[in-house]
Amino acid sequence: MTAAKIIMNEIKGYHRFLKFMMFLVALGALASAVRFVFGLGGTTNLNDTYPWGLWISFDVVTAVPLAAGAFTLGAIVHCFHIKKLEPLVRPAIVTGFLGYSLVGIGLLLDLGQPQRGWHTLVYWNVHSPMFEVSMCVMAYTTVLFLEFLSPVCERLGYHLPLRVLRWLEMPLVIAAAAISTLHQSSLGTFFLIAVDKLHALWYNPLLPLQFWLSAIFTGLSIIIIEATMVHRYMDQPNESELLEILTKILPWVLGVYLVVKGLSLAFLTHGPIFDRPGLLALFALEIGAGVIAPVVIFMKRKNREDDRMQLRGACLVIFGLVLNRFNVSMFGMIQPDQKIYFPSVIESLVTIGIIAAHVLFFVLIAKYFPIFEHHPETVDYTIPDGFRRTDGHEGHGKVSEA
Amino acid sequence: MSSVTTDCSKSKSFLIDTTKCTGCRGCQVACKQWNQLKGEKTEFFSGEGYQNPPSMSEYTFTRVKFKDYQKHGQNEFAFYKEMCMHCNDPACASVCPVGAFKKTAEGPVVYNADRCIGCRFCMVACPFGIPKYQWSKAFPLVKKCTGCYSRVKSGLEPACATACPTAITYGTRGELLKEAEKRIANRPDRYYKTIYGKEEAGGTSVLYLTHQPLDELGFKPVTSRSLPSYTWQALRFVPGIFLTVGGGLSLVSWFNHRKERVKREEEQRKASAETHNGTE
Repeated sequence: MTAAKIIMNEIKGYHRFLKFMMFLVALGALASAVRFVFGLGGTTNLNDTYPWGLWISFDVVTAVPLAAGAFTLGAIVHCFHIKKLEPLVRPAIVTGFLGYSLVGIGLLLDLGQPQRGWHTLVYWNVHSPMFEVSMCVMAYTTVLFLEFLSPVCERLGYHLPLRVLRWLEMPLVIAAAAISTLHQSSLGTFFLIAVDKLHALWYNPLLPLQFWLSAIFTGLSIIIIEATMVHRYMDQPNESELLEILTKILPWVLGVYLVVKGLSLAFLTHGPIFDRPGLLALFALEIGAGVIAPVVIFMKRKNREDDRMQLRGACLVIFGLVLNRFNVSMFGMIQPDQKIYFPSVIESLVTIGIIAAHVLFFVLIAKYFPIFEHHPETVDYTIPDGFRRTDGHEGHGKVSEA
Repeated sequence: MSSVTTDCSKSKSFLIDTTKCTGCRGCQVACKQWNQLKGEKTEFFSGEGYQNPPSMSEYTFTRVKFKDYQKHGQNEFAFYKEMCMHCNDPACASVCPVGAFKKTAEGPVVYNADRCIGCRFCMVACPFGIPKYQWSKAFPLVKKCTGCYSRVKSGLEPACATACPTAITYGTRGELLKEAEKRIANRPDRYYKTIYGKEEAGGTSVLYLTHQPLDELGFKPVTSRSLPSYTWQALRFVPGIFLTVGGGLSLVSWFNHRKERVKREEEQRKASAETHNGTE
């Protein structure tokens, strides 16, 4: 049998759902090819009034916080030393790595001159939040790639790189948290330039802080959703006991976010707040359903322990986050006399394809690499050259294996 | 580019006295000719303004907006030449990740097409909505008024200013501000008391004098603070935050790991002591 035949046979064995995901990804790839052939103007509903549309609002501004699970959990497990949560770390890293890679793809599709993407590395403009974010995203994708190499090396039995990666683990976790703090908040800085465009409900100087805080609770919620889904549909053990720890942290972060948001709304806004009923409703929905409701849910111990309520609370948080990012980057920027933007078929197909690609690649990676089956104590890291660890390393190594 | 706006009183600026504008649109034609811009197919439209083309685009860097109003019971037109304001501290230059925009010492804000990656942040940032995109192209770039930088560098005036028979004065910003104030003082009944562009977005190199209140003519109300200062007040913390978060987390993890190690050693010592006691 040729290699192609083996692969075809393998794919034939996949679940129907995966095949559907593959179809969506192919459709998205086709749509992005159409974008390059016929141009941005012809294939998207973007124009001079709406220079940024679905691709920036979702594929970049929303997808980045959605991929925040890796850095949040990494810091919690490795820096704050809640080792119990270790089994959740690897899936989170895979989610983060996929998320950021797809952010990169989405961004390249949206750029007018994607072949010049490397210009950001050469022509620095430190006054640009976009420069800051692109540098951070590139650096962080590299970090996530290195973290993702661990299961790959395990699968392939490369011991030497594993030792290097293990030694690098703590620096990587800390770098991940520091870099993420910068670019998650800088995504908020993007919109600080839109002084007279973004509505006062969202525009205030603390927007970067709010973006960072919301990235943290989003990261935690995504981990809850992902672990629950993996348990339900991929025959993995129920981790709801571990998730309970996350649901204990969540209301605190959400609470701080709510306070920051309330204070900045009360004291730091420039314009009228109640002049646009539509926007006010969106704001109320974002705060009510996405922040207050999950806080109420997770305040009750019974809900924190129940895996269905865990999932519901986390989904509410994600809903609020997505709405928030769209409010800031799209709805809140619409001026009263403007036409309403609606994404075109091509734009929607690309974004759907990107989401499908995330699900598809996660399942495939989990299928072929040790993402869940990882038990630190059973992995043999010895190498034949008699290279010995010091005692200090021993302590480190045990912690940093997930 | 930071919060302190550089002194632009010596840089070249436009003073556009809309009360003297006849609406001939010679500036529009001159702009298209000098910049070799394609004509746009337009048709008459009713509603706000009768300007042609109805909006600025990749092919139209300037246009004269028409506004009809009543004066002494008669219908009158007011005209407003829309163009890049060439801000003293331009938002487009500050947000561009590759620094494709630059405020030149001569005055114009120029765009370097060879650097542009096409992210359109300039379009989102510009408070006046000036940068336009080549939507028709597969690999589009940004287009906007160049302030006729090449002409200005060789001692000429911009094409629109040269073509204009009445309304545009070209000179250094300091002199033009004085001139504008003099005109307002001399003919208080003719002019609205504000010079648009003096304070807007931290000051611009295009100054307008009008008869009507600014908002009635369609001038956008814009903050008087320079726009880059709004993002810089957050971005300046970036190195500090990086070091704080990185250092803080390093400390926390060092402390937690040490605590863990001490605890483990203690347990080991206890265990060995117990076994020792047991054997005695």
